[in-house]
Amino acid sequence: MSADLALSIRNLALSFKSWSGTSQVLHGIDLEIKRGERVALVGESGSGKSVTARIILGTLHELKSARISGEVWVAGREMSSLSQSERQALRGTDISMIFQDPTTALNPVYTIRQQFHEVLMRGDPKISLSTAEQRSADILREVSITDTERVLESYPFQLSGGMNQRVMIGMALINEPQLLLADEPGTALDVTVQAQTLRLMRDLVRQHGTSVLFISHNLGVVREFADRIYVIYKGRIVETGPAASIFDDPRHAYTKALLAAIPRLTGGGIPEIQEDSEAFFDPMVTHEDVSA
Amino acid sequence: MKRALTILLSNPLSVVGLTLVTFVVLTALLADFISPYPEHAGAVVDFLNANKPPSAEYWLGTDVVGRDQLSRIFYAYRVSLGLGVVVLAIAVPIGVTVGLVAGYLGGWADYVLMRITDVFLSIPPLVLALAIMGLLEPTLLNGMIAVTAMWWPWYARLVYNITRAQKVEGYVLAAEVIGAGKLHIIFREILPNCMPSIITKMTLDFGFVILIAASLSFLGLGVQAPTPDLGSMVSEGTRYLPDSWWLTVFPGIAILIAVFGFNLIGDVLREVLDPDL
Repeated sequence: MSADLALSIRNLALSFKSWSGTSQVLHGIDLEIKRGERVALVGESGSGKSVTARIILGTLHELKSARISGEVWVAGREMSSLSQSERQALRGTDISMIFQDPTTALNPVYTIRQQFHEVLMRGDPKISLSTAEQRSADILREVSITDTERVLESYPFQLSGGMNQRVMIGMALINEPQLLLADEPGTALDVTVQAQTLRLMRDLVRQHGTSVLFISHNLGVVREFADRIYVIYKGRIVETGPAASIFDDPRHAYTKALLAAIPRLTGGGIPEIQEDSEAFFDPMVTHEDVSA
Repeated sequence: MKRALTILLSNPLSVVGLTLVTFVVLTALLADFISPYPEHAGAVVDFLNANKPPSAEYWLGTDVVGRDQLSRIFYAYRVSLGLGVVVLAIAVPIGVTVGLVAGYLGGWADYVLMRITDVFLSIPPLVLALAIMGLLEPTLLNGMIAVTAMWWPWYARLVYNITRAQKVEGYVLAAEVIGAGKLHIIFREILPNCMPSIITKMTLDFGFVILIAASLSFLGLGVQAPTPDLGSMVSEGTRYLPDSWWLTVFPGIAILIAVFGFNLIGDVLREVLDPDL
């Protein structure tokens, strides 16, 4: 794996074994994220986006029924070659994650201050309370929270969803991870707040030079955020390329259908799209990376 | 905390409960000072005053060997409360740990721990306690062991179910994702979220533990003479019914006060701590 890659996935396949047989979930996908690059993985429900995130985190490796093959390189290390505790050590320090619903992702019985302190202790177990306080307040200001004192003292239920989302983003970035996984962040929020927080997140990861894998089913959200896009359909990557190129010139049948499915402001109702098509299984299309 | 107190004090039921419980706890703690005849807690015999009905001298009458009933009830509260505290102090940590571990880890831990729990739950509690007391000597300590053995499975079940529900919550996933260990997740993330239910159940159970201990000693197991105990007082008194009614009625009312008080508080606590129950 070359040094300028934050994440590299080679021919990753996943299947779940159960009493009734084996179900193939990922059919050998390849994915790369360069340092500081923001990449989106887009697909419908059940296409394998979230399990990909869980494999990158290494939490799926611990599930007995999961059969994983292929290579996942994170921070220069191959996940399946690591022990359970080595994978655990990577999480929260080199990789972190942002969730769909910020309010449930924070433990209801602890204040934001306590939760920041715990996250900071992942990076530095001997961190002093005053340093933790200082760093939490700093990161909160970075996510545009000005009354840091009040927020740190609050419990998650005392803050709004948008506020919690920003707290989550702050927590995810406070240990300066190399790779940030964002699993449909803000889907639980209303659209304007979601747009706000995503813009904030984009600026922040740009400043910190964090690589991001952004997982979403929403192409509109992805367009603003990502440099490069992977479109995934039923466990296969069907199209990949720079964001602008995918939007201007979708070449794979599935990507075309996905783009057509976005309702237009100009009306016309929900467009008629094909639910299923042989063409969706066409071979993968790769757009030439102009910048490369 | 302040909010809880306000709610407790604004509800007439809980004020009654608090008053009853405070009364019981105070009499138990101060038995040495407020009992008219503190020495009657032990093996004292005063046949001249035996079996006297309630009077100015003996407010609740005397028992068959002439001991003041009021004094004995105060001391019996001390025994009952002590037993309740010890039983819950042992049963709750065991049950809670079993429930948390089985619920969070799942798989084999779940099968083994919860099936053991089921075995305990499938035996009628009093029968289980009787069997244990039959095997061991009927002493206060063994009484505690017997009640503890029948009590922890309920906490295991309760906490197991909460844990199963909490386990899929976002914050548990978030903790796993930042690399928190299993012990950390079980005891620092999930346990605090189980606490409201546990505390409520403990308050409700306190009365039941007193009741079950009284039942055991009513049956002649558990606390042995001359240690005063509400259950054995009722039990001994039944032989002299209906003439010497004060022998059974007053210890019975004493049990009622304690159990009723703890139950009232438990019900209100449930509303305060656990609004969605």
